[in-house]
Amino acid sequence: MIYYAASILLILIGMYAVLVKKNIIKIVIGLSIIDSGVHLLFIAIGYVKDATAPIYSRPGLEAGQMVDPVPQALVLTAIVIGLAVTAVALSLVIRLYDHHKTLNINRIRKLKW
Amino acid sequence: MSLSPVQFIAVPLFAAFLIPLIGKASKETVKLVPGIVLLYLSYVALNLFPRGLERPIVEHIAGFNPPFGITLYYGPLAAFLTTLVTLIGFVIWLYSYKFIIREPFEKYYMLFMLLITGSTGIILTGDIFNMFVFLEITAIAAYSLTAFLRDKDGAEAAFKYLLIGSFSSTFVLLAILLIYMQTGTLNLADIALKMADVPITMKIFILILFITGLGIEAEIFPLNGWAPDAYSQAPSPVGAVFGGIVVKATIYALMRIVYLMFNFHSVLHFFVIMGVITMLIAEMSAMRQHQIKRMLAFSSIGQMGLVIIAFGLGTEPGVRAALFQMFNHALIKTLLFFSAGYLVFHSGSKHISALDGLGRDKPLTSFFFAFGALAIIGLPPFAGFWSKLYILLSVADAHLVTVVVLILISAVIEIVYYLRVVSRLYFKRETATDVRRTPLSGLAAMGILAVVILFVGLYPNTILDWLTPAARELMNTSEYIRTGLHLNSGLLSINF
Repeated sequence: MIYYAASILLILIGMYAVLVKKNIIKIVIGLSIIDSGVHLLFIAIGYVKDATAPIYSRPGLEAGQMVDPVPQALVLTAIVIGLAVTAVALSLVIRLYDHHKTLNINRIRKLKW
Repeated sequence: MSLSPVQFIAVPLFAAFLIPLIGKASKETVKLVPGIVLLYLSYVALNLFPRGLERPIVEHIAGFNPPFGITLYYGPLAAFLTTLVTLIGFVIWLYSYKFIIREPFEKYYMLFMLLITGSTGIILTGDIFNMFVFLEITAIAAYSLTAFLRDKDGAEAAFKYLLIGSFSSTFVLLAILLIYMQTGTLNLADIALKMADVPITMKIFILILFITGLGIEAEIFPLNGWAPDAYSQAPSPVGAVFGGIVVKATIYALMRIVYLMFNFHSVLHFFVIMGVITMLIAEMSAMRQHQIKRMLAFSSIGQMGLVIIAFGLGTEPGVRAALFQMFNHALIKTLLFFSAGYLVFHSGSKHISALDGLGRDKPLTSFFFAFGALAIIGLPPFAGFWSKLYILLSVADAHLVTVVVLILISAVIEIVYYLRVVSRLYFKRETATDVRRTPLSGLAAMGILAVVILFVGLYPNTILDWLTPAARELMNTSEYIRTGLHLNSGLLSINF
């Protein structure tokens, strides 16, 4: 239960950072906090109390005694994707800083609807 | 090597990784690689098409049987869309050949190949997490391409797109997580089978997450703030890629998920309403634009609204009309972006007011723009006429008179703003002449599209014959589940 609460808290903290903060680097950090929250939620739903890693590491171990391996596999993929998005985001931040000489999002917004 | 749907994903992905290596050896060869790849894929598409129509090809990756392994589902709908993507991709490559001449062009072609990989992947995959991965491949390539020109506004548009896009991927990921929690499976067909036992509040919550997540990429109304900036700041062929390929793939993903997992009629009404709002707001915003590519971007959103309305009807003629409109829009909007790209290039400004009199100075490019404009507003001899007519007919069949009226109103708005540009091209005094010529490859790309548009306009039945089985596939959920999971293969053969 505590994992669910923690992951939802992480998602909310990330959302707060993205929506409220003015510094674009903090916004990018917020995005990756949201990602971490979702990843933790993934692990939490596959978690079984007192179970081991999903590997037949000792004889007599049955499938029921292991945690669900699928969410773990998914999270590994999702982490890699999150890393790539963060890298692209930070490179865009560098370019924005080069052009505008500021990281404040209010002073960058020129394009509008 | 035997032909299989896997090649639609594997070959462009392989080429994307090969391009930087080839670029080390020779810069000029790099330009040819995407063309060769897309030509080969078109060959595969044309060969597999009849087989996909006859009987869906279900490919199991790495030999795991569904629902455990990842499957690729190549039915009539996927056959139609992959063929569309590869053909449009080829034309875009032809156009880019002389258009993208700035230095890091090998990066452009690499990202372009990744976009093709992602889009065909979204269309073909039968696994929902796999679909998420391909969505992200497409999105990351799209962010980078938006900022390709390295200018101030490009970086800003790309950052905006990335911010909204990351939210969208978080929502999709959460929806997938909830689905896995409820059904314990990731295979689309298997989920559809088990979705019946999921409590209704949970279903609605998952649906909302999917609509917000995929709606962002598919340009549904309140979520499409990124589109006009990204379209107008990216190089012109990239605008064509977004409008012609990426949006089509995500609309497909959204509709496949909705039709498969959520028992429709109550949900689909919501799509009709969203489609109408999207269409009206986009057309009115397009009217207000002073920059030609922004205008095209809003028009593209408006057309997607029309497609969503037709999908939302939930009838077979409606879905068929929606697919037909997607096909036409992919061709026509690509043509418009191509010609607008060179018009902007020749006039030296993105503003519509700078286009005065270019019709005399650059007759061919202007002709293609006018051709595309007339086709998209739905004048009879062109392809756009038929899809709009079929959408109107199927909306009228559903007794939604207000929607018919609203579609007609938005069509009138569309006529006004497109003809405004065309009249500036032809009936204003020439301001300056530009000695640079439009390159042959660009003209050839536009010519191919124009010929296809005219051909489909004159013989709409050639396309409609393919679309009928595709629409039936999207509607017939139980068939998808059965072929996707290999249940009752005896029953299957009777149905064919």
